[in-house]
Amino acid sequence: MSILLNRDTKVLVQGITGRIGRVQTKWMMEYGTNIVAGVTPGKGGEVVEGIPVYDTVSEAVARQGAEASVFFVPPPGVKEAAMQTIDAGIRLIVVVTEYVPVQDVMEIREYASDTNVQIIGPTSPGVITVGEAKMGIMPGNMFTPGRIGMISRSGTLSYEVSINLATGGFGQSTVVGIGADPVVFTNLSELLRLFEKDDRTDAIVIVGEVGGIQEEKAAEFIDRWMTKPVVAYIAGLNAPAEKRMGHAGAIIQGDGKGTPQSKVAALREVGVDIATYPADVVGLIQRHFPPS
Amino acid sequence: MKIDMRLYEFEGIQLFRKEGIPVPEHAVVTNPEEAREKAQEIGLPVVLKAQVLTGGRWLAGGVRTAESLDDVEVYANRILGSSVRGFPVQQLMVVRSVNTAREFYLGITVDDYHGTPLAIISAEGGVSINMLAKERPAAIISRPISIIRGLKPSAAKRMCREIGLSGDELISVAGILSALYRVFRKYDALVAEINPLVRTQNGAYLALDSKVEIDDSSLFRHSDLNLSEEGRILNPLEKKGREIGVSYLELDGDIAIIASGAGLGMATMDIVSRRMRPANFLETGGAITEELLYKVMDLVLQKEGIRAVFINVYGGINPIHEGAKGIVRYMQEHGVTIPVVAKALGNRQEETWEIFKEHGVHVVTDVSTEKGIEQLGRLLEGGT
Repeated sequence: MSILLNRDTKVLVQGITGRIGRVQTKWMMEYGTNIVAGVTPGKGGEVVEGIPVYDTVSEAVARQGAEASVFFVPPPGVKEAAMQTIDAGIRLIVVVTEYVPVQDVMEIREYASDTNVQIIGPTSPGVITVGEAKMGIMPGNMFTPGRIGMISRSGTLSYEVSINLATGGFGQSTVVGIGADPVVFTNLSELLRLFEKDDRTDAIVIVGEVGGIQEEKAAEFIDRWMTKPVVAYIAGLNAPAEKRMGHAGAIIQGDGKGTPQSKVAALREVGVDIATYPADVVGLIQRHFPPS
Repeated sequence: MKIDMRLYEFEGIQLFRKEGIPVPEHAVVTNPEEAREKAQEIGLPVVLKAQVLTGGRWLAGGVRTAESLDDVEVYANRILGSSVRGFPVQQLMVVRSVNTAREFYLGITVDDYHGTPLAIISAEGGVSINMLAKERPAAIISRPISIIRGLKPSAAKRMCREIGLSGDELISVAGILSALYRVFRKYDALVAEINPLVRTQNGAYLALDSKVEIDDSSLFRHSDLNLSEEGRILNPLEKKGREIGVSYLELDGDIAIIASGAGLGMATMDIVSRRMRPANFLETGGAITEELLYKVMDLVLQKEGIRAVFINVYGGINPIHEGAKGIVRYMQEHGVTIPVVAKALGNRQEETWEIFKEHGVHVVTDVSTEKGIEQLGRLLEGGT
């Protein structure tokens, strides 16, 4: 088992007829993802890359048995699409869309709270179970199959860490881009819980960044529940306060919340090794797995 | 591109009034003569308040009470020419002065981690809520709100009772808290704060200040707000970055950075900072084209005294070979002679390296950014 998805997961693409939806569908299929349907309201009956397109999610579920959905839906449409998808009984949603209004994210999150659906994002580069399937825009060739789970707030930085891990002989089981917005659907701790239970993952790398309290909360979780080794890199040690560093959530508030120093301290305190630079992650992982 | 959508005090006050929150009589002016005129209409004494998108106005002398019309003109002249924490004051609010009996704090904000709105109130308003939280946490009550069900009137009243209010005061403040929540929801605010809400000696309630920040991702459904970008992005280079569609932040160093993602950009900045000083943070996002990187080179080199450029890009969704063409075209056309070092990995990396190498860009083939920065350091010290 891997976390969230594997080669058998029946994947639906929402916004499949858009420019990005089309090309990403092709790339996800080339990687091995089992894409069974697409949804774009008003485009039912069309075919994209050999995949049937439906007007509604419930049709895609009824006809093709879709169980997971990746969103290339424009920001104004995300709330309605998400609620429809939750109602249709999809169990995993990956929202790649950037700039989803924060209050919409909060509404979707509350709407989903009584269900079993797992929603990743928004602004997620995607989820990839390496060598099997991917939902999102992460290029497959950045990753090598292996037994390290990775949770990242940034797409590009997960590539940098993965490529460096490969030089040390370490590959990844599943890589999850949790998204870089201030409010995300699934917090870091929840993903740590999934990796802890995953028999294909031996250790976890957290790639964090300034802003918010995700890493601080993850430290509490690690202290109580994690038995597998966790190492981390936090970007933005030199970020000036009250300036957004590209990502909406990457901002150090005036009250001193979300500084990299507080994240590093919280994680160190519970035994998480912290890489000074992305490539240092390799050495930290090696410490836990000395060559036999 | 994210943009800070904090509202000016008077803009927030206007939203308050639309939702039925009582506000003092006021006017917004841009010159001393106008200030005098409006003060006369409103009636003395008045308070003159600098309209800037930052806190700390009191300490910087941006708020003055004027007892006479001559004072209004003198103070207005002084404040309008000044700046508060680097923000030039271009507008003044002229507000009728009120006699305060009691001050409250009311705020609605977002609890990022739990993903819910949070209502916060205190019967000790008028000071910074962060300071109050540190020094007298017991004086503050905060409650998460179900964004689907909203803030129930009974919940608002319960909060007011918990900070010790009763009778008419409880009813009035709870009503204003509900109205503030409506402002928060209706305008997609990230923060909506009244500090202070005052009860005057005549028993009226007035919102004496506003702090409202709108979620810029929601602006597509708030064209009615009609907020200009003027005064919101002060830095001309940051403004230009926004125009061409990249996130640019000016820093005080001399090594220009171009990265294809926010996380990668921050990491690059961290590594550069170890031995050198970054001139900027810049991330392109996933929309790299030849034209975009041409413009990006132009942007980062507009800052004075740049000693070198470090490019850090991944070819995932981005066509980095196209980007490389834009970089080298700029260098050729403008005769760029400072070192340009590029780490470009992913799809079509070999092709990208060729384009760079042919035009004198130093290519980093190591997979770690740190090694690339070391290479840059050696070049600046005169090595290769």
